[in-house]
Amino acid sequence: MGLQSNGLSLEIVGREISGRPVPGKPRRPAGPYLLGLPALLLSCLLLIPIGVTVVAAFTRPDGSFGLGNFAVMGDPAALRAVGNSLAWIAVALGLVVVGFLLALVSYRLPGLSTFLQPALVIPFAVSVLVSGVTFRLIFDATPERGTVTAAWTNLFGSSPVWLGPGLFWLVLVSAFGWTWLGYVVSLFRAGLDAIPDDVSRTVAAEGVTGWRRLLALELPMLRPITGVVTLTLVIAAVRVFDLVLIVVPGPMQRDADVLGLNWWRAADTGEPAGRTAALGVVLFAIVAAVAVIGVRGLRRRRWAMPISVVRTDPAPRSKPSKRSRRIGWTVGFAVSLFWILPAVVLVATALHSPREAGLRGWWSLDGLGLESFAAAANAGLLRALLSTVLISTVATLVLLVIAVPTAYLVAWGGLPHWLGRVVTSSFVVLAVTPVQMYAAPLRDAIGSAGLAGSRVALALVHAAAGLPFAVLLLRSAFASAPPALVAEALQGPARQSAVLATVQRTYRPALVAVAVLEFALVWNDFIVGFLISGPGTTPLSLVLWGEARQFSSSSGTVAAAAVVASVVPVVLLLSFWQTVVRGLTVGSKP
Amino acid sequence: MSWSSQELRAFQSVLDGLGRLDYPVEVVPLGDDISTAFGPRTARRPDLVMLPQPGLVPQHKNNLESMPDDLADRGRTRLWDELLVVDGTTYGLPFKTAHKSAVWYRPSALDKVGLKPPTQWSEWLELNRSLSLSGIRPLSLGAGDGWVLTDFLENVLLGSSTSTYQSLAKATRPRPSELPQFAAALRLLGTMWSAPGTFAGGVERLLVQQFPDAIVEVFGHRRAAMVLASDFAEPVVRSFATDPDDIGMFTFPPVNPGGAAPVVVGGDVMVLPKPSTDDARDLVRRLAAPAAVDPWITTGGFLADGRVTGYSPELTRLAKQLVAPGAALEFDLSDRLGKLGAMNGLWRVLTDFLVRIGNRGSDVVPGAVEIALADLKKVES
Repeated sequence: MGLQSNGLSLEIVGREISGRPVPGKPRRPAGPYLLGLPALLLSCLLLIPIGVTVVAAFTRPDGSFGLGNFAVMGDPAALRAVGNSLAWIAVALGLVVVGFLLALVSYRLPGLSTFLQPALVIPFAVSVLVSGVTFRLIFDATPERGTVTAAWTNLFGSSPVWLGPGLFWLVLVSAFGWTWLGYVVSLFRAGLDAIPDDVSRTVAAEGVTGWRRLLALELPMLRPITGVVTLTLVIAAVRVFDLVLIVVPGPMQRDADVLGLNWWRAADTGEPAGRTAALGVVLFAIVAAVAVIGVRGLRRRRWAMPISVVRTDPAPRSKPSKRSRRIGWTVGFAVSLFWILPAVVLVATALHSPREAGLRGWWSLDGLGLESFAAAANAGLLRALLSTVLISTVATLVLLVIAVPTAYLVAWGGLPHWLGRVVTSSFVVLAVTPVQMYAAPLRDAIGSAGLAGSRVALALVHAAAGLPFAVLLLRSAFASAPPALVAEALQGPARQSAVLATVQRTYRPALVAVAVLEFALVWNDFIVGFLISGPGTTPLSLVLWGEARQFSSSSGTVAAAAVVASVVPVVLLLSFWQTVVRGLTVGSKP
Repeated sequence: MSWSSQELRAFQSVLDGLGRLDYPVEVVPLGDDISTAFGPRTARRPDLVMLPQPGLVPQHKNNLESMPDDLADRGRTRLWDELLVVDGTTYGLPFKTAHKSAVWYRPSALDKVGLKPPTQWSEWLELNRSLSLSGIRPLSLGAGDGWVLTDFLENVLLGSSTSTYQSLAKATRPRPSELPQFAAALRLLGTMWSAPGTFAGGVERLLVQQFPDAIVEVFGHRRAAMVLASDFAEPVVRSFATDPDDIGMFTFPPVNPGGAAPVVVGGDVMVLPKPSTDDARDLVRRLAAPAAVDPWITTGGFLADGRVTGYSPELTRLAKQLVAPGAALEFDLSDRLGKLGAMNGLWRVLTDFLVRIGNRGSDVVPGAVEIALADLKKVES
């Protein structure tokens, strides 16, 4: 074979093969691995700082290596913080159980969900900070302002101080529960709806009822969903920080201390970095253990079964009687009304002038108007709104661009079995890692790179923090596509459009779920923005927090800011909720 | 800065009044956790900190840039120089002065018992007794903000033993728990706080009440007659008062017969964390101009160092007391005690003290003082 170029003549000549052929394994194509490269790079944003924190935790003040820093666990304040953080994880797990039971009830009482759906979605859409604000308003200690205090005083003559010592836990847990219960119920309900009819009929025919039915049918069938739900709630419980900061009045902050706050305030007292790092590592270890056990369902390779993911025609269940429908309808209406009340309180408070909102409760008819909104606008709300739009959009786009190929790699990229498991497990652990584990080194790195206050840097951190959960979710969705379909799509042009349509129908909900959830999560974030970003980014939540310092006297402004901050995520989640639920559960169908 | 809501908006109006700036100014509220601004836990150090605890300046001087030479003298005025000037270098400039010995009250409540504002500590105790006998709760207290409690104690201590106050402020030895005068001040405070029927709503309510809430209790819901609050309470008092003419103010009375009235001074000082920028220095220069704070003075609740005109009648009285010769002026003590004066120190000890004695009668005071001193000792070590 010859080649001529620029007057040069090149000739390539083959050589005879001598000797015997060398035996070898067929090479795995390296191409697909490249798909995971961006994710690896982005994850380094978290992995390296986590490494730094772990090293700091094991480095004694004199520079030697050892367990000396863990002596911090003997400090009663730190111990209380660890205890409280664990209590929050317990609350999260309790909520999963309660949510499951409620989902069962709603499953058995058809008609219930008509009203319940939006009532359950709205709390989930608003940020923890907003829900904290709302519950602090509801439980305010003055009978003129606080809803519960007013009702209690009317009924029993006097009222306990709900935000006082001990009782503030009730307020905290109510706010947390209000935020998350709807999510848990919706997911479990979707899971219950997806149980194939023939299976449940078989179980019924065998005479299995009551608890035995629950153990034999519903629990095992819902295991994968339980994994997703547990994972999200544990993450939320570990992130509890802003809720305590905004709900609990100063003197009780000490009792309500959680590890995140303790770690943050340690800067005040000048505690050595190693000790606080040790605190973070302890929390991290506990959480990682809980998460790995809790999400075992996610790792099961159930999706390899060739099942139809496409929704079969509706109306498989026998039509409920008119009476039970009416009961469900009434109960649903009452529960929804009750569940939506906090949102009503918030909006009504915002519609009062700052003076009226500080003096009287949301039900007062005096001083109605938009004055509080004007006051909130003066506090830099609009600027923060733009800032938040930018950060959330960039974070969501980056996340999608990076998470999709990675999830594809993990699901279909032909990774060796062990590697797939390692990747999945590391993503699970990374997903529950408390922000404190990487905040300090990451912020220092961003600062020394001259990127402090950069919105894009903050968006990247958000994308990195959202990546693990997104990949896990998308992987499940991708993997749930019937293998035969994928094989057809990979092999030939035959019926490719039909294949693509099916594949799209399978993946789209998961993609929408990831995008919507990430956007809402970043929009509502407080802790990442607070700990990692610098001045210059000022997301909405920070404005809200600044307004809330003198809480009740500025409750009108705070409520107005909270309402403004909540509009976008509420509208977004209400419009996409069905798809989000389908996306969250698609990979976990039995 | 640590300002919130009304204060924040007033400051925004000050910024707006500065005219066109060549750089954007972003306001970062940090609440009571303001000292995290210097710590490694805050994202980026702000370029300019409005520090509400001037006593922290000497502690943090290694993290602070010295003030530009042309402005340095502004930090060397009476009282401020004790804190802002270290080894001849000025590290901060006063922006806002706080008079922390003002008591706001409802004249109508005092009229009911036919008494005038007290001019002596003993008269104040007498007034409280008369009020509670006639069914009016004398005091409201925003115990949800720890500094409200320390301010109260500081006034009593400064009024009862100026020398003890000064020695605690200036030297690290002896510590408060070792001084009998400190214990005596706690007992005096205990006498007032423990009197049955003193506080509106009971002690638990006080704990969830921040300083504006305490003011709303007095002027909005009219459940109490008086509240110890600073000059900066003025906008809150006026905006929540149900009767705008029923507002009065007296200054903390002398504690010892014949003694001087205590005046505890606080304020927000401008400091520049290292490394500072030209823009930050320019902003300090602009904010330090006397006319810069006019918008806030118009809003009310703002005292500027050395200035006695342009305020409401109540604030003018306070401003005059601040410049009067011979007044027992001292800076806020809690900022100068370091860790001891902070959230887990004196704040917490006084909160527990209040819970033990509030509304419970004077019998419980001696025991509670002992416990408070023991608690303090633990923090001191």
